Amino acid sequence: MTEREISPQPLLSVREVVQEFVVRERGGARGGVVQAVSGVSFDILAGETLGIVGETGSGKSTLARAILQAPRPKSGRVVFRGTDLARLRGRRLLEARRNLQFVFQDPFGSLDPKWRVRSIIAEPLVAQHAGDRAARARRVSELLDLVGLDPARYARRYPRELSGGQAQRVAIARAVALNPSLLICDEAVSSLDVLIQAQVLNLLERLRGELGLSYLFIAHDLALVKQVSDRVAVMYLGRMCEIGPGESVYRQPLHPYTRALLDSVPSTEPGAARSAATIKGEPPSPISPPSGCRFRTRCPRARDRCAEQQPPPVEHAPGHVVACHFPLISDEERPVAGPQAGRADVD
Amino acid sequence: MDVLDDPIAAARTGAALLEVEDLRVGFAAGGRDVRAVNGVSFRVSPGRTLAIIGESGSGKTVSCRAVMGLLPAGTVVTGSARLRGAELIGLSDSQLRKHRGADMAMVFQDPARSLNPTMRVGAQVAEAVRAHRAVSRSQAREEAVELLRLVRIPLPDRRYHEYPHQLSGGMRQRVMIAMALACRPRLLIADEATTALDVTTQAQIMELLLDLQAELNMALIMISHDLGLAASYADDVVVMYAGKIVEQAPARRLFGTRGAVRMRYTRALLDAIPRLDRPAHTILPVVGGRPPDPAALPPGCPFAPRCPVTADDCLTTEPELAEHVEGHRWACWHPCQNGDTP
Amino acid sequence: MAAPRPEAALPGPGLLAPGPPLLPSAGVSPRRLASQRLGRALRLWVPAGIVVLILATCFLLPLVTRMPSPTNGNILDAGDPPFSPGHWLGTDPVGVDVFSQLVYGGQVAFEVGLAVTAIGVVVGGLLGITAGYFGGWVDALLSRVVDILIAFPALVLALAIAEGLGPSEVHVIWALSVFSIPAFGRLSRGATLVVRDLEFMVAARLAGTRGWRVIARHVLPNILPGLVTFSLLGIGIVIILEGALDYLGYGIPPPTASWGAMIANGQTVLTAQPEYVLIPSVVLVVVVAALNMLGDALRERWGVR
Repeated sequence: MTEREISPQPLLSVREVVQEFVVRERGGARGGVVQAVSGVSFDILAGETLGIVGETGSGKSTLARAILQAPRPKSGRVVFRGTDLARLRGRRLLEARRNLQFVFQDPFGSLDPKWRVRSIIAEPLVAQHAGDRAARARRVSELLDLVGLDPARYARRYPRELSGGQAQRVAIARAVALNPSLLICDEAVSSLDVLIQAQVLNLLERLRGELGLSYLFIAHDLALVKQVSDRVAVMYLGRMCEIGPGESVYRQPLHPYTRALLDSVPSTEPGAARSAATIKGEPPSPISPPSGCRFRTRCPRARDRCAEQQPPPVEHAPGHVVACHFPLISDEERPVAGPQAGRADVD
Repeated sequence: MDVLDDPIAAARTGAALLEVEDLRVGFAAGGRDVRAVNGVSFRVSPGRTLAIIGESGSGKTVSCRAVMGLLPAGTVVTGSARLRGAELIGLSDSQLRKHRGADMAMVFQDPARSLNPTMRVGAQVAEAVRAHRAVSRSQAREEAVELLRLVRIPLPDRRYHEYPHQLSGGMRQRVMIAMALACRPRLLIADEATTALDVTTQAQIMELLLDLQAELNMALIMISHDLGLAASYADDVVVMYAGKIVEQAPARRLFGTRGAVRMRYTRALLDAIPRLDRPAHTILPVVGGRPPDPAALPPGCPFAPRCPVTADDCLTTEPELAEHVEGHRWACWHPCQNGDTP
Repeated sequence: MAAPRPEAALPGPGLLAPGPPLLPSAGVSPRRLASQRLGRALRLWVPAGIVVLILATCFLLPLVTRMPSPTNGNILDAGDPPFSPGHWLGTDPVGVDVFSQLVYGGQVAFEVGLAVTAIGVVVGGLLGITAGYFGGWVDALLSRVVDILIAFPALVLALAIAEGLGPSEVHVIWALSVFSIPAFGRLSRGATLVVRDLEFMVAARLAGTRGWRVIARHVLPNILPGLVTFSLLGIGIVIILEGALDYLGYGIPPPTASWGAMIANGQTVLTAQPEYVLIPSVVLVVVVAALNMLGDALRERWGVR
């Protein structure tokens, strides 16, 4: 847990968000509707980092965009600092979103190739009419220093003259320009090399302390999410399977999917056994997901009830909520997640 | 009977399927002389898995493509790469084609780009079969279905008729593997083959590859940036940096024993990976800077500018890759000591 | 879940290529690289030079030297061959200087070509970008407008206007604009749609930049290369259309010189003296080809698809 105080009033409160989009067949004809996010709810408190982990098709990136209203979710509430973003339009939405920023996965995709670094970072300042030109230039230098880039060398560059890590730092500098309260990082380090990734993660950690940021950190890498987050949520096919404090979720996963994910992660730990793939089959089509619990087609514990009724979220341990009819709560289940220390079947 | 067909005999006699020695790859681009690979040597035996680990720009992909002969014209390749005793470097494309598919095959990272989107997957596999053997179309089709079954695609006779976009990423990668296996190669090179897949699918594909390796007695080379993958699935590990091998050891030794890692770069990699057992919000031990420009390699150790313990000799003289401990080679003047963490 | 991007500076004109970390740019020998560069430069500057030369000849030469009249000829000079004194390319069957006609006809061709294209870019571009960016009913409405314009067959319209209002250069420009506006409208709408959902656009909107500013500062600079290259092709097409109108007699009214009219007049003596048709035809082909090649070379240089 962090040393800083985490206040009780949620900074972000998401309730039953649903997001759909139309699938186009080849040639542009309507192929069907995919419900990428099907009723997701969670809170983020000020000062904490919530990690969302999920594989392809889990809807985590769509959820992130829906929170931003880019595009607006089909239904549900997104209450940020007390205001429901889903109800705001135009200027009021811009105002409210000022404190909510986003870092994208592709460091180069999020920077306009025709703009210089200094203009890119200054854009939010210009848009919000923050200070005059001189003040903005000072702020840009400040921000570049903050993210570890020398203003003298980098302010005038174009994105194509930057490396992946540098570009992502510029994106982060832009994101924190207006001192947001919440930063959403959507696979923000996934396309970076390991050593550079570590640098950027450390930067994010440092900014967390220096600027008092809260994060919504989305990734598919379980270890990464655990390291960065206070609480972790696991998504599968548009629904949230499990959410709880990081240590709790990883050491004692309650949902079979979380268990399977953890078992699939190859580990560099000494003595770690080769993880057996405990999950069967292929992810089902998002256009026609399974009835009831969406994970049931691949779940080793599935029974009739799982097909009939969608499992409601239930709190089994403090702050640890799971949506499963037969969660892994009995003692006979293997309790230890992550490094499989002590297992006998090392090959 | 070729000793290489029997993994136990091969291991006993030390016969290697692929022996690469002092491989160097360079080319001219934008008027500069780029040294992508600078003297790489390794061996793979049948039934064994070698993991080549490195970040982007380390030369891992270029080395293997040099062995397969898949580099563009104008690339200068020197050194030796002997597959079952036959020298591959310097062969023409038509000569290499005989080896490709029959003796060695490669699976790439992004099946979405390697598969023809306008052709049914079964037909693509059948095409791979017919590329190396003179069989009739119907026979090729039968074999294609068998191959799809071999890579554990359910209902292979139905899937035969599907297009790539109808399959998931994991399925597509299985199709790629089926195509690579069409002629039962002795050596399979998987170039970041699971990087683009979900972790659960990755586990399935890795299981599949290892099972196939056992069934077909193949040697497997895994190219990756993921140390965890190497630790879990490889027998031997080679770590590359700036076109050179900087550390080489059996996986169990490198990852198993605490502190067995010697080369500082490998240590830095291991330390920088997020781990499930670390508490949240740890600041990772970080190595600053970036890999050197392959067209302007500095003298001395290529990692020296970034290494936490650089000394004078590191900057002036390049360390040799030497077997300091049996089975474990590294190239470092001031390696980590047992249990040392910088 | 992309593979990591290269952190080392890759070779190439000093810059990193963002993209998958596969092989760096094609390994070629320095000699081949140099000849590739030369080829690229030639493909750009040769057509550019031709276009500039022709423009200069058409617009600047008459300011500098005295040219024989392009409209009135001395019947006594009729049929002079090229390189006759006072007539560089000779005279046509009614005594009008051929070179002059080329030069003044060229002025007309380029004026019409540039004007029509400019109108297309400005009006069509505005319509297309607005439709593409805002989508929804705005897009539906503007697209219908553009569709209606496309439905007008430009040549027939030009004929109708010429019949109704009398032929003139301005009328030709109006008529052909009906064709160029929707062409650029569709192009810029398509380009805007491609750009609109790129991540840096989302980032710009998140930063709070308002609609019009986003269009002006993000959309426009990114679609401009495509518009410019298309414009060059467009000028060529318009010049041909204009030539066709003149040939039919519905464009610039005689006796004003124009390339189309020269071809029409030369037709009467085609078998005996084909040069009166050939010369303006060759000039037309050269101009349009040069514009096309220039457009292609720019597209290559700017990486427009």
